[in-house]
Amino acid sequence: MRLIIREDPADVGEYIATYICKRINDFEPTASRPFVLGLPTGSSPIPTYKKLIEFVKAGNLSFKHVVTFNMDEYVGLPRDHPESYHTFMFREFFSQVDIPPSQVNILDGNAEDLVAECNAYEERIKAHGGIELFLGGIGEDGHIAFNEPGSSLASRTRIKTLAYDTILANARFFNNDISAVPRMALTVGVATVLDAREVVVVVTGLRKSLALSKAIEEGVNHLVWSFVL
Amino acid sequence: MSSPNGLVCFTNCLLPLEDGSLVQKDLWIDERDGVILDAQKTFFIRKERPDRTIDLGGNILSPGFLDIQLNGAYNFDFSVYDGDDEAYRAGMKLVAEKIIETGVTSLVPTIITQERSLYPKLLDLLRPFSTPSSASLLGWHAEGPFLELAKRGAHVPSFLMSAPDGIKSFEAIYGAENLADVSEWLGSADPRTVGVRMITAAPELDGVMPAISELSKRGVVMAIGHSIATSNVATAAVQQGARLITHLFNAMPQLHHRDPSIIGLLGASPHLSNSFSPVTVSFPALPPYNPIAPPSGNASPTSAPTSPTHIGLMRTKSTNSTRSVKSIGGVKSEAFDDIETPPQTPILAASRAAAQGVNGSGTMTPLSLGHARKASRPELHLEKGMIADMDFERPFYGVIVDGIHSHPNSVRLAFSSYPDGCILITDAMKILDPHLKDGVHEWRDGKRFVKEGDKLYLEGTNTLAGSVVTLDKCVRNFSRFTGCSLGEAIKCATYNPAKCLGIEDRKGTLRPGADADLVVLDRQGNVVSTWVNGREVWAKNTSL
Repeated sequence: MRLIIREDPADVGEYIATYICKRINDFEPTASRPFVLGLPTGSSPIPTYKKLIEFVKAGNLSFKHVVTFNMDEYVGLPRDHPESYHTFMFREFFSQVDIPPSQVNILDGNAEDLVAECNAYEERIKAHGGIELFLGGIGEDGHIAFNEPGSSLASRTRIKTLAYDTILANARFFNNDISAVPRMALTVGVATVLDAREVVVVVTGLRKSLALSKAIEEGVNHLVWSFVL
Repeated sequence: MSSPNGLVCFTNCLLPLEDGSLVQKDLWIDERDGVILDAQKTFFIRKERPDRTIDLGGNILSPGFLDIQLNGAYNFDFSVYDGDDEAYRAGMKLVAEKIIETGVTSLVPTIITQERSLYPKLLDLLRPFSTPSSASLLGWHAEGPFLELAKRGAHVPSFLMSAPDGIKSFEAIYGAENLADVSEWLGSADPRTVGVRMITAAPELDGVMPAISELSKRGVVMAIGHSIATSNVATAAVQQGARLITHLFNAMPQLHHRDPSIIGLLGASPHLSNSFSPVTVSFPALPPYNPIAPPSGNASPTSAPTSPTHIGLMRTKSTNSTRSVKSIGGVKSEAFDDIETPPQTPILAASRAAAQGVNGSGTMTPLSLGHARKASRPELHLEKGMIADMDFERPFYGVIVDGIHSHPNSVRLAFSSYPDGCILITDAMKILDPHLKDGVHEWRDGKRFVKEGDKLYLEGTNTLAGSVVTLDKCVRNFSRFTGCSLGEAIKCATYNPAKCLGIEDRKGTLRPGADADLVVLDRQGNVVSTWVNGREVWAKNTSL
């Protein structure tokens, strides 16, 4: 594990975006051999997305041969809902880069058979030869995607009931109405992320500092999963 | 240059939203279907993204402007029909093709009061019309003949009438087929056709009030205008279905604080209650509508008032005059009548009517309205903000923002009191042509007019000869007059008029599924290019 410290979120975003850009370009992806990228939602990765968009607009980077897999999506929230992760990804990233829609993968939280949807997602990742680079963020309690503290380190893509803390934290996106926050989500598992050949985690802000210190200064603990990196 | 997959993305632009805000966002359209797309659905469900991206360089991408009151332009007058259908249709086409340079992509041709026999023909000619590269003429706006003599503006007095048989009188004038239920009226037209019919009438006239309700049900947008309706009558008209006030401030009583009349509708108070103030008003009468009078084949009127002092309440005398009016179209502004007609309040009008002994069919008994009675909130409330628990929606109102027909202060006053109802109109005449230079121009009948910017005078007089302002200029003026943002001004020329006409799912909006009729404006509100059905049809650089 490498720990890279930068001054502020914008610098962090620039560093990570530059790194991802270099990784994709070095990979020299083609239609038959695309670069497979895992992506998160949330506020932490936004500066990174902004920079990546700049690189694409400047012609230094292309997503023509990039396949993406997103980490998670709410269950039962309409795809067009302003807080759905489909909406987030389209608004903050996909609409502004040149990625073909067919190469974008996001879990369908409205699938009739949610278990089948999760299994098919794992299969699709496998069919693409696994994820080359997984970008992620962590929550204040150290969770990644919806893998709340206590998630098994061997977990795969599955349905998760959200922790009360997460529901509280997300209520601000639903007019502070806790009852409007979805109770369940589909999420990639800890093992799904760890299978990636490289994982980059964005950690910015004071509130994330405790989780970060646990991850880098303490022992293996399935409650603070980020340590396993 | 078209897009291989037919999808186009406008980027680096500001989009005016329906709430008047301007947001930096991309817009996706389908240039083949000519519609605005839901970008996210197109991406995730249709699995497509535009092959062509257009960088607008930070400009504003607005829905095309919608003018609901345009009398003519480029020397074609919608009110004039000389028996040649082809010539008339050519005129419609000319206006539709040229008006796009002003950012207008939809308009409602407006006919000022005509000799009655012309209506069935004119309205039939004015069915929805457009070409692939022109603005859409949405239908018609009949301003008259059911107008108040005292507020007639440039409308020919002898053509004005009341409607003693209610809806039957309207059908007799406009032609029953033109007033048929909207689906019947559109008939076999393309199902995507947007059709609009509007009538401006004075609700205090005999028989107009019951017709408002019936015509509204048939899908006709009823507007109050050229009227001296009292507050109660104006309110009742809205309750009957009237949705619009025609050229606010012009051709109506000025705001009187004890009876604010039509203008007062903008401030309709939740305190008004049904148990309060019986609706009683008397007003001057028009001669009864005479259904058996033979329509005159001659389009020119035969009589006119002898002098301005006789105008208004003395209809019977004035019609005996033999002096003829030369022009039907009116050499002065259709809306601008206060030069000849003294400002009147309904209270004043009623007392003068009483003093002069005018009554008869003009006396209105308390209206019995079957529905939509006002009900005020019985208790006071503690929440901040003006909450009106009133089953009464204030009407939209058109304003001519040329700086002449309404003072900037008046425009701001109206907008402040009811921003969501504000609609910018040009009410322009056939002389409208942005390429017309200032100076002296030929008019008609040997008369000449002087153009000075947006002002038109008859040569040698200071009589205003009508509006020649373009709608894009109204938008810029409006932003200056009221201090509102360009986004809020744009809303008054796009979403508000579309909502008034009930076509806001297709016109005046950027919501998915709406027609891709667009205008690109720079940040000073000047038209850069105009798009119809997803195709660029006019651009500043290449037009001249």
